[in-house]
Amino acid sequence: MIRRVFPVPRRLDLVVLGCAISLSVLGILFVSSTTQGGRFEGLATRQAVWVLVGMGAMIAAVLFDYRVLLKFSFVIYCVSLVPLVYLLFFGERIANVKSWIRIGGFQFQPAELTKVATALLLAYLFENEDDARLKGATIAKVGAIVAIPFLLVFLQPDAGLAATFLPLLAMALFFGGLPGKAWIALFVAVALLAGIGWFVLADYQKQRIGTFLNPESDVLGSGYQVRQSKIAVGSGGFTGKGFRSGTQSQLRFLPVQHTDFILAVIAEEWGFLGVCLVLALFAGLILRAMTLARVARDRGGVFLILAVSSMLFFSVVVNASMMIGLLPTTGIPLPLVSYGGSSVATSFLGIGLILAVEYRRFANA
Amino acid sequence: MLKVRENRGELSGRIEIARFAVGGIFAVLAFAYWYVQIARGDYYFELSENNRIRSVKLTAPRGYVLDRNGSVLVENEPAYSLQLYRREAKNLQASVDFAVRLLGLPADQVQARLARGRRYPEFVPIPIAENLTLEEVARVEARAPEHPEFAIAVSQRRLYKRGNSAAHVLGYLAEATPDQIRASSNGYRLGDWIGQKGIESSYEKLLGGTNGERRVIVDSHAREIKEESRLESRPGQNLFLTIDRELQELAEESFADKVGSAVALDPRTGEILALVSSPSYDPNWFTRRVTPEEWSSLLSNSNHPLQNRAIQNMYSPGSVFKIFLAYGALALGEVDPNARIFCPGHAVFYGRTFRCHRRGGHGWVDLRNAIKLSCDVYFYNLGRRLGVDRIAEIAHAFGFGEPTGLDLTHEKAGLVPSEEWARTKRGARWYPSETISVSIGQGPVLVTPLQVARAVSGLIEGGRLPTPHLFLASQDPRTGVRLRYDSPPRKSLPLDARRLALVKDGMWAVMNEPGGTAFGSRIPGLEAGGKTGTVQIAGRDAVLRAGVDRSRIEDHAWFTAFAPMNDPKIVVVVFVEHGGHGGAVAAPIARRLLAKYFGMTLPPRPGEPGFVRASTRIAPAAPHTAGVSP
Repeated sequence: MIRRVFPVPRRLDLVVLGCAISLSVLGILFVSSTTQGGRFEGLATRQAVWVLVGMGAMIAAVLFDYRVLLKFSFVIYCVSLVPLVYLLFFGERIANVKSWIRIGGFQFQPAELTKVATALLLAYLFENEDDARLKGATIAKVGAIVAIPFLLVFLQPDAGLAATFLPLLAMALFFGGLPGKAWIALFVAVALLAGIGWFVLADYQKQRIGTFLNPESDVLGSGYQVRQSKIAVGSGGFTGKGFRSGTQSQLRFLPVQHTDFILAVIAEEWGFLGVCLVLALFAGLILRAMTLARVARDRGGVFLILAVSSMLFFSVVVNASMMIGLLPTTGIPLPLVSYGGSSVATSFLGIGLILAVEYRRFANA
Repeated sequence: MLKVRENRGELSGRIEIARFAVGGIFAVLAFAYWYVQIARGDYYFELSENNRIRSVKLTAPRGYVLDRNGSVLVENEPAYSLQLYRREAKNLQASVDFAVRLLGLPADQVQARLARGRRYPEFVPIPIAENLTLEEVARVEARAPEHPEFAIAVSQRRLYKRGNSAAHVLGYLAEATPDQIRASSNGYRLGDWIGQKGIESSYEKLLGGTNGERRVIVDSHAREIKEESRLESRPGQNLFLTIDRELQELAEESFADKVGSAVALDPRTGEILALVSSPSYDPNWFTRRVTPEEWSSLLSNSNHPLQNRAIQNMYSPGSVFKIFLAYGALALGEVDPNARIFCPGHAVFYGRTFRCHRRGGHGWVDLRNAIKLSCDVYFYNLGRRLGVDRIAEIAHAFGFGEPTGLDLTHEKAGLVPSEEWARTKRGARWYPSETISVSIGQGPVLVTPLQVARAVSGLIEGGRLPTPHLFLASQDPRTGVRLRYDSPPRKSLPLDARRLALVKDGMWAVMNEPGGTAFGSRIPGLEAGGKTGTVQIAGRDAVLRAGVDRSRIEDHAWFTAFAPMNDPKIVVVVFVEHGGHGGAVAAPIARRLLAKYFGMTLPPRPGEPGFVRASTRIAPAAPHTAGVSP
């Protein structure tokens, strides 16, 4: 029906597009709700600007042939690593981590773009590696492609942001066809890494994990965020306290509510219904994208969609679990919804890549 | 250029598996939110309400205390305290160190307060120091930008306008102890100030009023966003005391260098006009910061300034006891007032010689003269005839051996010995010779100055014992409505007017006939009666031989008086510890009080510094220089 009213290109997928735009509009609404009258007043407008920027990137990605991007993905990947290396040595610490580049009045996290570049490179890799079972050499390549940016970000040190690279690894191994024995080996390796990681983690990170395991142990310290977030979510009930009427958010009991904890605000003000709406939009977007992956014209397109979807899915699940204490607080924003320019813009870029694969499904190579 | 051979079938299968997994995980997430929001929704809703609504106490202004003429004795003044808001503090220890340095506070005390405050939710500020001076307030305010965690709170502080004066009547305020909080039903909280001792304690409820409550919506920094509801406090009642400030202060001046107590009351109603316990203390010490020096001076003072001697110290009544014996014997029909007894200066009872205070003896004395001259031999005989149990009966009839019912706490009962008391309480049987001692107010009998004042009131009122009280009226500061105290007198041992006149006449003679033991303290133009008492300290001679400080074994001096004769309006009791002879030390003080009360001018007495004109206000700095007249 929409297609009859608007002159939309035939191959543009309206489910993915509609879900993404709906989510970003929700984001702008609730950023404005949580920042009214405070020192963050005006962030909703900024967010809207970033959404527009993101949509511009999305349109560009759709119009540009993703196959060209795949061909040059190694170069793109390498270029995207440069700012990470730069940050490691010359970065300015903001909120205790060196993950931001400041240009004029804007801050940008280059790691967000690196994620897209990594997704492209992985897709390009699997374009050519099409064996039924993954070869050792391919596993090593996949490992290296993900590990390099992961480590660079981990050293910033931003473990939360680094973790968002991990779904790419899982995606590549699962869809690439990792043999059963290798999965077992992987689990052992992860367990070992976790043990070693405990010694490598910064104190505040350990504290967060400890708090996660026993939130009541430190009600006024790190447990405070989780507790206040749970109260916000729980007190929303079925229909919520009403838009801009959440006491937890409006009275600032919720921490970083317009960024990481925006879902708690939605849960408080719109209740369970609001949460269902957000989850449904994400589920719709991701499941639809996976359907598109199945019918994509080439392996590169399949893996490109899967890579972008896996990152989206990972962020949504981790963020939503964080709100109600199912996972430790990690600083992973809710894609498309949370305030934050780099996150919103690159999410839209990713959506653009999904749409681009579908857009060129029947085009000639 | 594309490879033709693809593994799309298997890949599609995996994608299909992944789609189920993704859908399943979303379903699990939705279920988790359902659990938190629907199943546990009420629980979290209550938590969010507790988060945002704070109850703030509105402290009711405490009532003023005034004397019977409306002169203000106790009022309130603003006080400043330092509060620590933990949520604003980056480093609690650094904040505490800062406060300790800035105000020179004792570090361990501040640490203790911090530890105590930590038991409360974070938004409750911790009181760090009270009663800051304006200069200290300025110092804190100047550093406020660097230390937002500190705030100055303004509250009302009790001000005892006249310092030491009437301290034992007024009492003082101090922070409620955990025990007091537990024992009280008034809903006190830690940090509340409540009356301790004095009328501040007895009339705590009346003076304290009812605290109000504001329910405010606050943000996560406990900053107030808006007021949700407000219940105004009900201010405490103003309390008018029966005390006459001028009389009280004159009595205190008279005790400037003495230890002891004075009580003046209206015998008809029991209204206390003056109540002195010397030495005294300044109740303001407790509401401000008690310095360690002040505190140790209070505790180490061997005269125990905190004790209210008028009701808490028990003494032998000495010869003052004789008038009750005389009255009781008359009422019981045990004495013929005209019968005379010969006093040779001593008498022998049960094989022991008892001396009269006058070595040469009084010769033939009847009841009236026995009172006037305070003849010991006469009362030895009277006491022997009555026996200790009849004496106890008489003493009880005058309210000895029980608290007077004054509206102050911690009143002592005194001691009235009897044969049963000796058997059951003392554990040694009563010796008849002890009865002889008791007849002149020595021996085991113990009384408080206030008991004497009450008993004398009962005596001159023909057996109607009033209940002494300090409460005259209370006044609602908003409506001006007053309440009055009402307590009926206790009836005991009635005596017909004719025989009552005999005792009163004897007391008149004490002050107004040459030879009376307080003849020197007569007041020309005022018909007053009185009775002296001089209490010998037990074992005095032995102590004197041991060469101990004389001031500790000097006799206690008693004097009680009433006036005017036909319709008494005031009873005065003066007790000077180790003062010497009652007639020489205690009676002059009573004389000044009576003269002051009746607005009379006293002529100077030969051999003494000039007495002041009673109607003249006395400057405390130079009490003996005003109003000298030839």
